[in-house]
Formats: sequence, structure tokens, C-alpha cells
Amino acid sequence: MNAATLALRVEGIEASRQKTRRLKFLTWAVVLVAVAWSIQVIVVRDTDWSRISLASLLDIAKRFVELDASVVSEDLWKASLETVVMATLATVVGLLMSIPVAWLGAANITPFGKSSYAVGRFLMTMSRSVHEIVWGLIFVSAVGLGALAGVLAMAVRSIGFISKTIAEAIEDVDPKPLEAIRAAGGTKFQILWFAILPQIIPVFVGNMIFEWDINIRRSTIMGLVGAGGLGLLLFRQMAMSNYGGIAVVILAVLALIIFGEVASHYARRAVI
Amino acid sequence: MRGLAAPVEAAAVAADEPAVVAATPRAANSSPATWSRFRYPQSLYKYAALIGSLAFLAWSIEYLDIDLERLPGILGRMGEMLARRYVPPNVGHVLNAEYWHTVVETLQMSYFATVIGLATAVPLAWFAAWNVTPSRRFLHKPARLVIMACRSVHEMIWTILLVMVLGYGMLPGALALTLYCIGFAGKLFSESIEAIRPGQVEAIRAAGANQLQVFVFAVLPQVRVAWTGISIYSWDVCFRAATVVGFFGAGGMGWYLRESVQRVASKDVAAILLSIIVVVILSELFSAWLRKRIGQAVA
Amino acid sequence: MKAVLEVKDLRAGYAEREILKGVSFTLGPDDFFAIIGPSGAGKSTLIRCVNRLVEPKGGQVLFNGVDLLKLSYPEMRMQRRNIGMIFQEFNLIERLSVMDNVLTGRLGYTGTLRSILRMYTKDDIAQALRLLDRVGLAEHVDKRADRLSGGQRQRVGIARALIQNPKLLLVDEPTSSLDPKISREVMTLIREIAREFHIPVLCNIHDVDLACDFCTRVIGLQDGVKKFDGRPDELDKAALQDIYAMEVL
Repeated sequence: MNAATLALRVEGIEASRQKTRRLKFLTWAVVLVAVAWSIQVIVVRDTDWSRISLASLLDIAKRFVELDASVVSEDLWKASLETVVMATLATVVGLLMSIPVAWLGAANITPFGKSSYAVGRFLMTMSRSVHEIVWGLIFVSAVGLGALAGVLAMAVRSIGFISKTIAEAIEDVDPKPLEAIRAAGGTKFQILWFAILPQIIPVFVGNMIFEWDINIRRSTIMGLVGAGGLGLLLFRQMAMSNYGGIAVVILAVLALIIFGEVASHYARRAVI
Repeated sequence: MRGLAAPVEAAAVAADEPAVVAATPRAANSSPATWSRFRYPQSLYKYAALIGSLAFLAWSIEYLDIDLERLPGILGRMGEMLARRYVPPNVGHVLNAEYWHTVVETLQMSYFATVIGLATAVPLAWFAAWNVTPSRRFLHKPARLVIMACRSVHEMIWTILLVMVLGYGMLPGALALTLYCIGFAGKLFSESIEAIRPGQVEAIRAAGANQLQVFVFAVLPQVRVAWTGISIYSWDVCFRAATVVGFFGAGGMGWYLRESVQRVASKDVAAILLSIIVVVILSELFSAWLRKRIGQAVA
Repeated sequence: MKAVLEVKDLRAGYAEREILKGVSFTLGPDDFFAIIGPSGAGKSTLIRCVNRLVEPKGGQVLFNGVDLLKLSYPEMRMQRRNIGMIFQEFNLIERLSVMDNVLTGRLGYTGTLRSILRMYTKDDIAQALRLLDRVGLAEHVDKRADRLSGGQRQRVGIARALIQNPKLLLVDEPTSSLDPKISREVMTLIREIAREFHIPVLCNIHDVDLACDFCTRVIGLQDGVKKFDGRPDELDKAALQDIYAMEVL
């Protein structure tokens, strides 16, 4: 390459790079403007800044920090245990409910072709679209206050994720063992049991543990709709405006989540 | 010298073979191989686990005071309740300008939370990723802690706390959603960083680049695709939560929901729930489309 | 002749395991050293200790008189600019173009903000084009790195190392991922360029024949210890068996 061609190519590269730079700059500018607009609406216009001042914020912070040790009673342990049990039960029930949904929503084994596949996928989407609080409200009005409503709400909410991962695992299954069993004259059930299940179980056990971890988080607020556990304790403290007590319950929630993270980390290691 | 490497390797291969052949034939007087269905202790563990789970189910139902008698008729009662109290939903309740305004509020809160949450999650994830964090001593653990704290507390709890501090309105909701987003995206972002190929990082380091340059040139190009998907997913999840934060005093559609629930106006509640579901499904369709379009551009 | 690189009693490893047990050698400005030895001998570690991608435990690494092991992290980064490295698996940034990959070699010389905005100087771009032309990739300048063949990728890696204007080239198993014919081409290119730009080379290589064809001196490593340090024609059967003793067993 001689000097003239080199200079020409350098110019060309510089020009195209400048163009790309300008485009990127423009995109970021648009994003920034949109953010600025939303900040203006949310922070500036909507908030009643006359009520909030540094003094009032510090005062509230102080009230939170003065932990109310009286809340650390047997009630707290009971509520924590209840939360964990609710989450575990909900995950198991959710798994049971997910199995038929996954069956419908897996393209290779769905019984009635396109229509049942659509139904399966629709159920998965519905379960995920509706927030667990909304499910909680629905079940509280269906079965009354108490742990059952919370467990059912979380179970139904879990269907979305669990059935989706099972369906994907079923769709990704290696067809060769299925072929082998069918060739040997096995029934549909035997195919399911010996060829499909051993392939998908490791996948969905891992995901189940993941969902259990998330359900512990959801379980902490189910009490807000009357379901029990730490959420109920939190609700009571809030009703009393006991800032110190609220802080204690939230610390308990954090501790519980950490416990859940550690437990699920080791459980997943053990499975995989 | 020349060709001496070959016999060295050949000898190594030959050394392997006799060992393989020797392993297979069995000693002459061992008993014939048997196969049993129930091999101890593996089957013991399996059955113990199965019985343990059933026992746990039974115990937990007992412990949580769940009245199993309520279950059999549940679908029937739900259907009856649905027909009597919730249907037909009072759609008129939601078809007014004020309600549409709350839908816009919900969008604004979710947009604010996603952008600011993601912007904060990027550096946090960088610090929290064990393989490329700029300081394993001072930045790694605190960053992981922050992400975990944001994730652990449910977004509704954040909302309630912030409403207590800041009063009703969109700000507490937007901030709560931002914290939720930081936790959600932060974990996914840092996990994808920890899965990158280390060779590219090595090469950029070897050229004398500083930490930030290493991040931009060796990490970002590798995680770009995954992060785009995660970002869109985060907005999706954020929007879903935004529709409900109003229930606890933040802005958006949830406020209407709370109001109707408190009045026990079930037909209004039904209408609002329906509108929430419709809006969420629309947002999911939008994010699926966005993922496809941007996915093609970024890959 | 002043030495470019003096390695004295280099030790490296973890608490449980010693990988390098006191290796010493000297590299002059016209040298092309080949490090040979069985796998696990510590060849990769040795190369990476020179530019401190791996932290050694003890010893000295004198690069043009400066002991690299005593430098702080920012100072070491400055020194890394003068040491170019070519990798076994090429280590290109797959999603970036060939041009962008070569330009990353200038990161040590470019300010953080400018580099993030990809605002390299025109001189850098001209230099990149010249080098790409020299390694025969002038037509592939805008191609994405993952669309190239193995041999082409390694040549991009060579250009990337050279755009740093290095005073030393570290080469880690440049041909392990390439087939024999391309391996020879790549080694020839490296040797030519080293001579043309007057840069000494320290090269890890497991193919002993290839090593002897291209280098001026051979260092044989076994289990972290230097077992041979001499010219290629001095590398006889006895010496080889000494170095590779473990592998035959």
C-alpha cells in the first residue's frame, strides 16, 4: 500500500467512525431527554417538597434506627418459620400445578396441537403477568384470610416460571432415547418415565430451588393481604407506626433471604 | 533434534494401552455379576427423600393451619363468586381520562426506574463480578451486598417504607422500583460477566490498559447481547410491579385498585384488574418485539 | 550487547504448589528464544510472569534495567505498553472488527475517555492499516474478528502486538490452535517482523522441530526448573530426554 492509498483509507475510516459516534451520541441524547422528562414529572411536579425536608428525613431515619428489641420475641421466630414453610409448600404445590401446564405448553408433546399449545403458553403468561399481590387479593376473597390464600397465590404465581422451564426442557430433550424405547415397544407412559423424565429432572430441580428462593421473598409480603408470616407481623407494626419494630422485621426479612440464598446455593451444588 | 519429538509421544501413547486392556477381564473365581433393583444406600436415600417430602407436606399443612376441607369446593365457590360479584366488570369505571392518566404515570415510573436502575446496576455489577472487579478487597463484597440487599427486600416493602418517608405520590414508587431494578438487573448482569472468556481480558490487560478500559473493551463486547436481553426483561418486570405499587400509596394504577378494594366495589375491582392484565400483556408484547429488533442489531 | 530482559531466580506458584522454582536467563536485542518442555512445566506461567499477568513470588525480572516486580500497578501498566503479547487462542475481541482489535493495542497510550469514545488519532489508524497490510490482511480491515480463520486471527494478534511499538515480544504457543502449514507461515511472519522491527522474542512452543527451525536459542523447562539453555544444534537426544523425562514415563 503506498502513501496515497493509505491516506485515503485513513480518511475514509475516520469519516465513518465520526458518523457512528454522532449516531450513538444522538441515541444517548434521546434517552437522556426522556429520563429528564420523567424526573421532571416524578420528582419535581408530583412530589410535595414542602412536606419533606432534610430535618424530617433525618428524624424518620432516626426512628428507624432505634430498633425495637421487644419485637424480637418468639413471635418473630414463629413468623419466620411460617414464612419459610409457606414458601416451600407454595413451591411444591406450584410444581404440581405446573406439570399439566408444561405438558400443554411443550411443542413436542402437547396433546391437541396448536390449540392446546396456545392454551398452555397463555396460562404461563397469565401466571407471570398478574402480580403476586393481585393473586393474593383474589385468593383471599376466594378462601378467606390465612396461610392458604398466600400459599395458593404464590403457587399460582410460580406456575409461570416453573412450567416454562419444564416445557423448554421437554422441548430440548434428546429424541434418541425416546426412539429407542418406542422401538422396543414401550407405551407412551413408559416413554415419559424412562426417556423423558431422567433428562428433564436435573434441569427443573435447579430451577425449582431458584423459584423457592424467590418465593421466600414473595412470602414476606403475603402477610400484607392477610396470609401470615413475617408480612403479617410487618403489617401490624406498620399499623402501630412502630418504626423501630418495622426496622426489626425488615432485618429479619433480610436474614431470612440470606439464609435462603445460602441454602439454595448449596442445594443447587448438590444437585448439579 | 529432528523427529525426536515423535518417538517420545508414541512411547507415551503405547504406555497407556496395556493398562486399558488389563482392566476389563475379571479374576477367574469371582462370583457372577448380579444386578439388584434396590441398591443400598442409593435407594434408601431416594425413598427417604420421597417419604420425607410427603411427611413435610402433611406437617406444613398442619402447621400453617390450613383447612383442607375448604379445598374441594374451591373451584365451584370461586366460579360462583366470580359470576355473582365480579361479573360483569364495571368497565365504565376505568374508561375515563383520570384513569388513563394513571396508566401514563405507571409508564413514567417504570421508565424512570428502569433507566436509572440499569445505569446504577452496570457499575455495581462490574464491581460485584469476581473475575474483573477493579478491587477484590474493597469493591467486590460491598457491591455484592448492595445488590443482594436490593434484591432481598420485596419491592412492595420498599414502596411502603418510602411512602412512610416521602408521603404519597409517584416518587416513592419510582424509587422503590429503581431499587428493585438494581437488585434484579445487578445480579443478572454480574452473573453474565462472570461467564465471559478470560483470554480477551488477558489480552487487553497485557497491552497496558487500565481497569476501565479493560471493562469497556474486553467485558462489554462479550456481555452486550446478554445485557440487552436482561435490560428489556428488567423493564418488563418493572412495569408489572409498577402497576401494583399504587396499592400501597405510590402513583399509578394500583391506587385505583386499593380504593375500589376498600369500598368493596367488586365490579370496579374486576374492571381494574382486567385493565391491569391488558396493559401488562401489551407491555409484554412490546418488550418481545423490542427484544427481537434490538437483538438483531446488537448481535 | 546490553540485555533487554534479564530473569533472575524467578519463582512462582500458589501456597500448595510451586510452579517455577528459580528460573534464570538473559535475552539480548537480537535474540529469538524458544521455551520448550512438557505440559505443566511452567512455560505459560513463565511467560506471564514477565509482564505480571501472573504475580511471581520471588526473583527479579529486569526489563531494560528496570525490575518489573518492584513496580506499582500503574507503573507496571506503563511498562506493559512496551511489551507486546501474542496468545495461543488469539484472544481477539470477537465482536469487534479487525481494525478495532488492532487499535486496542494502543490502549496503553490512549487516554481513558478518548479510548472509550474510540477517538484514536489518525496516526494510530494509519499505523494500524500499515501493519495490517504487512501481515496481509488489508482487505479484511472491517470484518468482524469471529469471521476470520485461525491463521488470519493470529495475524491480527500479531498486528495488535506490534502497534504498541514494543521493545519485547512475548509469544505464548502461537501455533497450538493452528494446522501445521499455517503454523509455519505464522512462525515465519513472526521471525521476519521481529528482525525487521528489531524486537527480541520470547516464545513458548511445544513443537520442538518448529522451535529449532526458528529460534536462536532454546530453553528447556521441566517441572519449573531450567534443564537446558543452549543453541538449537546443541539440543541432542540426551538433552531432550532430560527435559521430557516425565512425559515418557
